[in-house]
Amino acid sequence: MSTVSAPYIYVCTRMRVRKASLIPREEYQRMLNMSLPEITRIIEETAYKQEIDELGTIFKGIDLIEVALSWNLAKEYQKIQEITPGTLKQFTRAYLRRWDIQNVLTILRGKLQGEKAGKIKEILIPAGSLDRVVLDRMLAEDSTDRIIDMLKGHRMYPVIASEYPAAKESGSFSHMENELYKQFYGEIIADAESGIKGGDLFLDFIRLDINIKNVKTLFRLRVDGSETDAREMYIHGGDLSAADFAALNAIREQGEFVDMLKVRIRSKPILSLLDEMKGDTSVHRDMEVRLTRVQLEQMERLSKRHPFSIHPILVYLEKKKYEVFNLRALARGKESKLPSETIAEYLVM
Amino acid sequence: MAADVVAALDVNSSIAAIQASQMGMKALGAGIAVGLTGIGTGLAEMGIGSAAVGAVAENKDMFGLALLFTVIPETIVIFGLVVGLLLLF
Repeated sequence: MSTVSAPYIYVCTRMRVRKASLIPREEYQRMLNMSLPEITRIIEETAYKQEIDELGTIFKGIDLIEVALSWNLAKEYQKIQEITPGTLKQFTRAYLRRWDIQNVLTILRGKLQGEKAGKIKEILIPAGSLDRVVLDRMLAEDSTDRIIDMLKGHRMYPVIASEYPAAKESGSFSHMENELYKQFYGEIIADAESGIKGGDLFLDFIRLDINIKNVKTLFRLRVDGSETDAREMYIHGGDLSAADFAALNAIREQGEFVDMLKVRIRSKPILSLLDEMKGDTSVHRDMEVRLTRVQLEQMERLSKRHPFSIHPILVYLEKKKYEVFNLRALARGKESKLPSETIAEYLVM
Repeated sequence: MAADVVAALDVNSSIAAIQASQMGMKALGAGIAVGLTGIGTGLAEMGIGSAAVGAVAENKDMFGLALLFTVIPETIVIFGLVVGLLLLF
């Protein structure tokens, strides 16, 4: 007898229908050859119509697209949290907590740079545990210290309270951001391993996410050529150990780096991407996009292998996020009059 | 003479008892056929129905197709009903 309950089937089917209605690859190819007003019209005709209509009187042009996309993403995430049942809700919330980090850091950065509250609000995605009301209260505060005090009781507070003074002094939030993400991944791994039904499947996603993130960081560090301590950016929980990560970062020769990475990484999809790179010694500019594509393909595979689990929800959430990123990149790129080929390199299709 | 009558009565009553028992077994068989196929249909429709409601919630145009898919497992219980009727009549 099937052990899958009806609400799981219901939600996973809804996610599949929503995923099927996302913008397909061919549409992006068409949009690359369009002008900004044409792209705006296409966006208006898709799932973003309501937001464009609501915000049309307040914003114009590219700002309208940006805000409408952000609002739509937040609305979509909140809606999904409402309809997911039981443990799926718990895992979905855990996954969406990463937006808390992004929102709080955006507010703190904006306030330190003296940006207006309205301008900061445009780019917030209230999808995590801090809802629109809390974020509005934080935006209304001028002092960053009072904003941090408002987080008392939240799981991010200890890290922010201890890291913020140094971040404020140095003017760089990167160390604090790294620490927050390390804490986030540590917590969601603990959630997944707490013995809740379906936790092992959630853990598969987290491991994949961490592996991709660590490999992306390694490639980014190679492109940057910066001498920062690699261990600081390492996220625990994937195939790579901290020592492997530092050793890989120390290798300067591209071929040797790829060979060593192939020995350390056990994730098959990443290995096949590295195989494709065999013999190609140049540093890939689009490596990040290719890794994201690999991650989405692997998530898709997992969602087919486990059709009524957290995977169909996560793959939709990720694909929706990249749809919004793609549309934003397209609109911004067109506005800046970038050639279509350059914009295409930044799209996850 | 009296012994023959008693023997005939005994045979008649045992034939009636056997017939009643056969009828009972048929009724039981029919009941099991309809009951188990009913449970099977219910289980099959649980999954299809949930998926159908999910699909219709996202896209109202799917209602007709979703309803059609949901009732397909009804054939299972109809087979059970046919077997039950064949047993009884």
